[in-house]
Amino acid sequence: MWLEDVGLRYNRRGPWVLRQVKVGVAPGEAVVVLGRNGAGKSTLLQLAAGVLRPSRGRVLDRPSVVGWVPERFPADQPFTVDGYLAAMARIVGLSPITADRAVRRWVDRLGIGPFRTVRLSQLSKGTAQKVGLAQALLRPPGLLVLDEPWEGLDAAARELVPQVVDEVLADGGSVLVSDHRGETVRLPGAREWLVADGAVVERAPSDAAAVAVVELEVPVGQLPATVARLRAEGHHVLRVRGQNAPPEATRPGAGPSSEVAR
Amino acid sequence: MTALVRFRLAGFLRTGRALAPVLAGLLTLGILYGGGRAQPAEAYGVSAVVLFPVLAWQTKILLDVEPDVQRRLALVAVGPAREQAAGLVAAVVAGLGLVATAVVFPWLVGGVAGPSLPGDRSVSAGVALGLWAHLLALPAAVALGALASRVITRSAGYGVAVLTLGTVGVLVLGFSGSVAPWLAPPLLPTARALVGPLSGSTALLLTVWALAWTAVALTGYAQARTRRA
Repeated sequence: MWLEDVGLRYNRRGPWVLRQVKVGVAPGEAVVVLGRNGAGKSTLLQLAAGVLRPSRGRVLDRPSVVGWVPERFPADQPFTVDGYLAAMARIVGLSPITADRAVRRWVDRLGIGPFRTVRLSQLSKGTAQKVGLAQALLRPPGLLVLDEPWEGLDAAARELVPQVVDEVLADGGSVLVSDHRGETVRLPGAREWLVADGAVVERAPSDAAAVAVVELEVPVGQLPATVARLRAEGHHVLRVRGQNAPPEATRPGAGPSSEVAR
Repeated sequence: MTALVRFRLAGFLRTGRALAPVLAGLLTLGILYGGGRAQPAEAYGVSAVVLFPVLAWQTKILLDVEPDVQRRLALVAVGPAREQAAGLVAAVVAGLGLVATAVVFPWLVGGVAGPSLPGDRSVSAGVALGLWAHLLALPAAVALGALASRVITRSAGYGVAVLTLGTVGVLVLGFSGSVAPWLAPPLLPTARALVGPLSGSTALLLTVWALAWTAVALTGYAQARTRRA
């Protein structure tokens, strides 16, 4: 799916929220959309999902089935969880039997079974958010758009979001996720778009730039040989800490028995 | 689309906000038929005029009951054209309920009488013409209500203003001798036509007029919706 020179403003005389956005996402790809509050992340996601129409430019090759999880689920509706999801399943075009099966599957997976007969307006924020997630997945989406999906979710459900994303990707779908709380690490391999000043720029893939620190325990006798071998393999040896040296992790290179190498 | 129509009707009926226009409709009909007996066709012509704002208001309520984000979810699910059409169809279905009430109501309270003088229309002809008058009013009212809905006007004040302007327009522009009768749907002309004998060409003209006005208003609605999700 491609956004071709897409610009958007909410009013004819209003300011451009996004301008000349040229980005694309291929099947099987996930993109994390980053940016400050009010930068236009939600606007970009809604353009991709087809909620908003671009004021300029166009969106090409949008998959026919789109699942959109809004930032806040509209809980002010006179339906129970079951009634709502069943209705949404019928609205997206599932037959009564498939609709029933899809609702049961996602109710079970998201752990909202105990709330099936509860009215939407009485749900906690996290549970309502899960209903929002469920409605987007009733049909396997070719494009899944998640606006701050981790907001208000409990630990178990947080782990579920990357699983769901992986499943959509495995089925050849694309996924767009916005995030401002650094949960992005849960989606390794995702591309990153940064929204700022009305523009969207691609950041270097996080895989290449990301660095991890490994602590090793090595017998003192083999220390020089091990360090030499690690360096030969292209690793950065940050420092070597002596057996009796105090564990001063904050100031590498301060003690006599420490060595720092870059 | 049927599923979305049913979903929206359910949302409208379950909130209790459906009660307000129904009560307003019954009140209006009660006042209208409280005065005495009339010939069915004449009475129905006036009934269609007075129910017009109620039908438009009911449409606005039905469309506004759904939260904005839910409307966008429906849009993502079925696409913009069907999302808009489903809202209008739901409003028409709800309006048909009020129209049916309006047609039956005068017979329950004795507000209409059968033919008494030679030349009076038969009861069935009167009812048929009355139904026709209401069915001319309904699409125009739905279009006005859609234009007054929150997704278009974005504020309660403008919404009420659109409803009021539309209703006042129908009355002011509809009087005989009006300078620009074409700017409003032909509710008063229809009511006047139902007093005397009605020719086929007049009936056809009124029908085309009402439908054309509705088409223009709905085009405006669809146009406005391209920039408003």
